[in-house]
Amino acid sequence: MNPSMLMSVVASVPEGGEPSFSIAKMMAIIVSAVFINNFVLSRFLGICPFLGVSKQLDSAVGMGAAVVFVMVLATLGSWLIYYNLLVPSGLEYLRTITFIIIIASLVQLVELVLQKFSPALYDALGIYLPLITTNCAILGVAVLNIDDKFPLGYSLINSVGAGIGFTLALVLMAGLRERMETANVPEALKGLPIAFLIAGAMSIAFLGFAGLGG
Amino acid sequence: MGEIIRVGLMLMLVAVIAAVALGYVNSVTSPIIAEQKEQAKLAAMIDVAGSLGAGNLVFDSLSVPELANPYAGVDESLAVVAVTDSTGCDLGYLFVAYGKGYSSTVQTMIAVNTSGTVTGNTVLFQQETPGLGANVSNPAKFLYQFNGRNASTLVLKKDGGGAGGLDAITGSTITSRAVTSSVKAGLDALSDAGVIPAEGGVI
Amino acid sequence: MSLAQNFSRGIVKDNPIFKQVLGMCPFLAVTTSVENALGMGAAATFVLVFSNFLVSLFRKVIPSKVRIPSYIVIIATFVTLVDLLMNAYLPALHQSLGIFIPLIVVNCIILGRAEGFANKNKVLPSILDGIGMGLGFTLAMVVMATFREILGNGSWLGFNLLGESYQNQPLLIAILAPGAFIIMAFILGFFNIMEKRKRGGVK
Repeated sequence: MNPSMLMSVVASVPEGGEPSFSIAKMMAIIVSAVFINNFVLSRFLGICPFLGVSKQLDSAVGMGAAVVFVMVLATLGSWLIYYNLLVPSGLEYLRTITFIIIIASLVQLVELVLQKFSPALYDALGIYLPLITTNCAILGVAVLNIDDKFPLGYSLINSVGAGIGFTLALVLMAGLRERMETANVPEALKGLPIAFLIAGAMSIAFLGFAGLGG
Repeated sequence: MGEIIRVGLMLMLVAVIAAVALGYVNSVTSPIIAEQKEQAKLAAMIDVAGSLGAGNLVFDSLSVPELANPYAGVDESLAVVAVTDSTGCDLGYLFVAYGKGYSSTVQTMIAVNTSGTVTGNTVLFQQETPGLGANVSNPAKFLYQFNGRNASTLVLKKDGGGAGGLDAITGSTITSRAVTSSVKAGLDALSDAGVIPAEGGVI
Repeated sequence: MSLAQNFSRGIVKDNPIFKQVLGMCPFLAVTTSVENALGMGAAATFVLVFSNFLVSLFRKVIPSKVRIPSYIVIIATFVTLVDLLMNAYLPALHQSLGIFIPLIVVNCIILGRAEGFANKNKVLPSILDGIGMGLGFTLAMVVMATFREILGNGSWLGFNLLGESYQNQPLLIAILAPGAFIIMAFILGFFNIMEKRKRGGVK
């Protein structure tokens, strides 16, 4: 496929809408997904891994990488199937069931492929993959891309941004929690409560990005 | 091998039963959903058009040959409904403005009279932040200010509207700006096509 | 374990939110109002009860190799059912819960009960377990939403409690994203202390 053809596929719009692919809009989508509408801290998607895998920095980075990877693949798969299979046959109502099957099988597939061809990467990401099927950030981004009527190119960019936003929140949280290990936390707040308080403080900070959208 | 096929068939059976069951429910609910959307829209039209005149109003979709579509950016189109009274006298027009807000596309139904002044409005759809942008649904917080204005005076105070401008919803400039500019864009498209006079003047 | 225990366990002792800390995403996201909390609780309970019922009914038929995918398909079917029915009969609630309706599919509570309880137990205990867990989830959401709606909007289930002047200057953060995390921190802290008191750990 030559570059111009690729561009036209990437920028193709489901029905009507903007035909062109603008860098400005692309940047706006990324900034929005990473900071303004951060998946974890503002949309509350992917809270379980955010609390569960944020105790150490290493595992946070690994989980983040696995999520970005699966998110992009899931967006690609779900977008193509939704617009090429479900919409033409009037089966839009099967969206949820189709998307979750795509994500579940994709996670299995990625696990098998990694195990076979890249054992090193598998060792790094393998343990996080099964957790990803029930990470609502993945299904969330797939559904949001359809709800926002993004063409494929923007959908992929949106999912990369969402993944980066998730990783950013996870890594920041892990860094803070590692420090908390040595801090003198009140008896009642030890464990999860202090994690929620930290998340609240981070969420306040991210609220400040709201002005960027204007 | 036989094991894999058996397991695969089982999974397929589950999926097929699920799809058939959902197909049935969808065939029952989809007319209800469509009907209820239609009803909600009609109720909003009657409500908003009440500001144009009393009595039996007649709605007729208006096709304007040179009407530009200001809402292509959010994948919607500008549809105009002409409102006449029972004697056939033109009272004004209804349209739905689509503005990309903070986390959703806010849909506002607007009634505008034949001289280009907004007389009534209501929010049809929004999924903005509860406590902030979602206040757009409360007419007393923001949209009451639209009535009596025309395209030239629909501007936020902080966007150069000065003392005569609109007060944005506290903490929700993005939502306020989205609604304001989408309504203004709709009015501009109508005046460009000669449906209403430009900037509140006379045709 | 008695049938009564199957039912009551999910409400207090093993409450999915406060004791197991599962299903956080919808819990934090939709508790901006008591109405949303009740709607989401009812939807999740419906899915939980029916998926537990079917999983338990077919626990000997579904091969264990494909049990997780089968459970996901069963859960997704009921979620779609709720989605369609809510869109048809409760459109306003459907609009305000938005994306969190399809996301019930990945609510860990539901898959957790299917895998952890229903596939090992008879039909009746599974149904009771589903109802109990669903009520526990709903109750927890209502508690959280009560704090957030009263502090952040001065109202409870839409009734104005604290008066007009409070509603004009509420403690807005309670209804915004950070408030969800912070209030949850204090609720969990409260349960932490209670637990420790019971064990005699805190003087």
